[in-house]
Amino acid sequence: MSRLNKIEDIFLKIGSVDRRWIFIIIAIVVIVPILVPIGLPIRATDTSKKVYDAIEALPKGSNVLLSIEYSPSTKPENHPMTISIMRHLFRNNQKVYITCLWPDGQFMAQDALKQVAEGEFNKIYGEDYVLLGYRPGGEAVVKGIVSNIRKLFSVDARQTKVDDIPMMDGITNFKDFDFLFSASAGYPGTIEWVQYAADPTGVPMSSGVTSIQVNEVMPYVQSGQMVGVLAGMPGAAEYESLINQKGSATSGMDAQSVAHLVIVLFIVLGNISFFIERKRSKKY
Amino acid sequence: MFWKRQIPIFIVTVIGSITLFGWFIDQPNVKEFVGDDATQWFDVLASFAIILGALNLIKLQLQKVLYQKPGWLYSVVAVFGFVFAIIAGFFVKGVDDSVAQWGAHVTSDGTLFKWMFDYVFSPMSATMFSLLAFFVASASYRAFRIRNFEATLLLASGIIIMVGRVPIGGIISSWFIMYLIVLCLGIYVNSLKQDMKITFVFVAVGVSVVTIGGFITGWPIDQPGIFYLPSIQEWIYYYPNVAGARAIMIGIGLGIFATSIRYILGIERSYIGE
Amino acid sequence: MKDRNFWIVIALITVVFLVYWLLGHPYFITERAVMLFSIISLSATLMYYIRAAERGEEFYLRPIPALKAVEEAVGRSTEMGRPILYVPGIQDMDQVETVAGVVVLGHVARMTARYETSLNVPVSRSIVMKAAREACREAYMVEGRPDMFNEDMVHYMTDDQFAYAAGVNGIMVREKPAACMYMGKFYAESLILAETGNSIGAIQIAGTASQAQIPFFVTACDYTLIGEEFFAASAYLSQKPELIGGVKGQDMIKLVVIAIIVFSMVMMTIFESTGFGFNILEYLTIR
Repeated sequence: MSRLNKIEDIFLKIGSVDRRWIFIIIAIVVIVPILVPIGLPIRATDTSKKVYDAIEALPKGSNVLLSIEYSPSTKPENHPMTISIMRHLFRNNQKVYITCLWPDGQFMAQDALKQVAEGEFNKIYGEDYVLLGYRPGGEAVVKGIVSNIRKLFSVDARQTKVDDIPMMDGITNFKDFDFLFSASAGYPGTIEWVQYAADPTGVPMSSGVTSIQVNEVMPYVQSGQMVGVLAGMPGAAEYESLINQKGSATSGMDAQSVAHLVIVLFIVLGNISFFIERKRSKKY
Repeated sequence: MFWKRQIPIFIVTVIGSITLFGWFIDQPNVKEFVGDDATQWFDVLASFAIILGALNLIKLQLQKVLYQKPGWLYSVVAVFGFVFAIIAGFFVKGVDDSVAQWGAHVTSDGTLFKWMFDYVFSPMSATMFSLLAFFVASASYRAFRIRNFEATLLLASGIIIMVGRVPIGGIISSWFIMYLIVLCLGIYVNSLKQDMKITFVFVAVGVSVVTIGGFITGWPIDQPGIFYLPSIQEWIYYYPNVAGARAIMIGIGLGIFATSIRYILGIERSYIGE
Repeated sequence: MKDRNFWIVIALITVVFLVYWLLGHPYFITERAVMLFSIISLSATLMYYIRAAERGEEFYLRPIPALKAVEEAVGRSTEMGRPILYVPGIQDMDQVETVAGVVVLGHVARMTARYETSLNVPVSRSIVMKAAREACREAYMVEGRPDMFNEDMVHYMTDDQFAYAAGVNGIMVREKPAACMYMGKFYAESLILAETGNSIGAIQIAGTASQAQIPFFVTACDYTLIGEEFFAASAYLSQKPELIGGVKGQDMIKLVVIAIIVFSMVMMTIFESTGFGFNILEYLTIR
């Protein structure tokens, strides 16, 4: 009995552990798999496959609007999606138009373009891709793009007149695009694009969102207003596996997997301690 | 009093009504106002209002520094950061006009502002967001306790989603989950019957059934699908989760509708005081 | 407005609309007629119950523990001699949730004026700062304590989401408020704020309609107002008949929506399986 009591005491101590021990353990289990990758296999879900299939099915030379609305805080989740989508689009020789609903989005877009468009595919600015840049106004920008994009964007992010950019010929409003992909971390973002652009006009759209946002966005995916969704870093890793080009999301999945398991372990230990405490308080 | 009461309510009522009913009108000027101008007026107001906020911030932080109130060193950092950002944005570009013009210097490589964004703002922003990883762990540890049926359901679905969503969930065989379920049911039976024999028989039968089933089917990792974590996780996401999310969205939508109607009709006036 | 005047205004509006409709309803988007009808009928339901409440009819509102806890939290802060921290969200006054948060702030400010507790309201937007200041100033004046009001109790921090979270966390850790209230629109910073508040031992009451953040507040806070409960908070705290009538009207509207959902589900099932009936979604879908 005393041995059992000792074991119960250990569990009770674990149940009331200082949160800083939890923080240290989480830090270790996240850092170690990043430094020593495990290489867990990534299995693409239906929602990610739908995004891939939709983009793969676009005819060559399609006009694709890519909207970047995230900041450095969610870069680990959203940036790998942007990179993978850009790789997919440029590989298939699509024309990519980039706009940003967040001011930080322009910085993120520039980083991605530098890495992918310039560094990997040697694409020509103005012919293969154009960075229209950020405009303030939230959903007013979305509505402006739907009605008249040239009124909203008279110059691009490099201060070049939009009329002087070859690939802007024939682009006057949202209906001139064949597909929209929004890499979004909040407001304004995916939901505004669905409500004011994609659903009213019928232009197909998809999105990559942070894990927290998936709940809000899933009803639109289920109703068919969006074609699939890339859900957080797992979604980004799945897309990297679909395009056969691993990136930072894939390497992050090992750390996320182990961290989730450790959290589950904490929860189990916490509940064991909870039951022991309840049993003892009933006894007394 | 007239200016502080009736005028604001009149503005809210008129602009609110135009914005609401303007959606039904197919007249270009009305559509432009409802679609673009109304939101942009607000953005212009908010942009000028930021001066008020900035002045308030500087006033409070400088007061703390001058009177050396507790924590005044943090205020020194705040004021320094504020001044540095103003200088980088408006006065010191860090590069020639040939590299970046004023305006484009905010996003051009090599400028002081871009340096500040890349090496100060971005890391600090990412650091604050990364706190969530630790806080989610400590919050889950504290909150996920089996207090009642609903809490148990929350706990179980939370664990399934957490493990099923990541690659490690895909390599956990559904047979392992079945063994776990047999063991958990055994614990439950034991708590009900308090008889070791019955518990032993129950667990032994359960383990045998699962083992025989596994041998017959060849231990496929993702079959039966009902016990495969990624499949369960997807089902939870698509059905109960979306159902709950839709219900909350409808409720919130109705709440926003009712609240907005009260503001437009002038019934709710607390936002300008009693 | 008195009953007679109210019905005269309604009659006038109805006549004007009928004349407009009979003249061929120029510029009107007829595809959206169903939505207009819905808005008018739902608003009429709301108005009916508001006027019924103003006439003295009593409506039962179920008790919401979080709103009862607001006064307890203020009392706790007074006893401990520590301030109350009130966070009205991180969005601007163009969001209904932020306006609702400022409204609740007004009620909380009345309590702090009554109990002579200090109130700290860091805000993320300048316009919210002005609106919140006015709400607090009015609250203190109504309670007869204009001397206790200080403009700097409502102060601006920064527009940036995580910089604001860092600033509020700093206030929590340094000033150790006894009660923390989060009422408004929040994003990812919600758990950062709530966990820090938990670590300093403060009683925490949250209210938001940000669907993704509700689970975090439920997990980390002592009391949470979920969705519509947050919008109804003003009615609960003020106990004004017109606001309570509005909450009742909202519930009736919800019943109507549930009835429409069930009816549509039955109609669509019959239509898709037998071809009998009509595609009700065509009428309910608004573009």
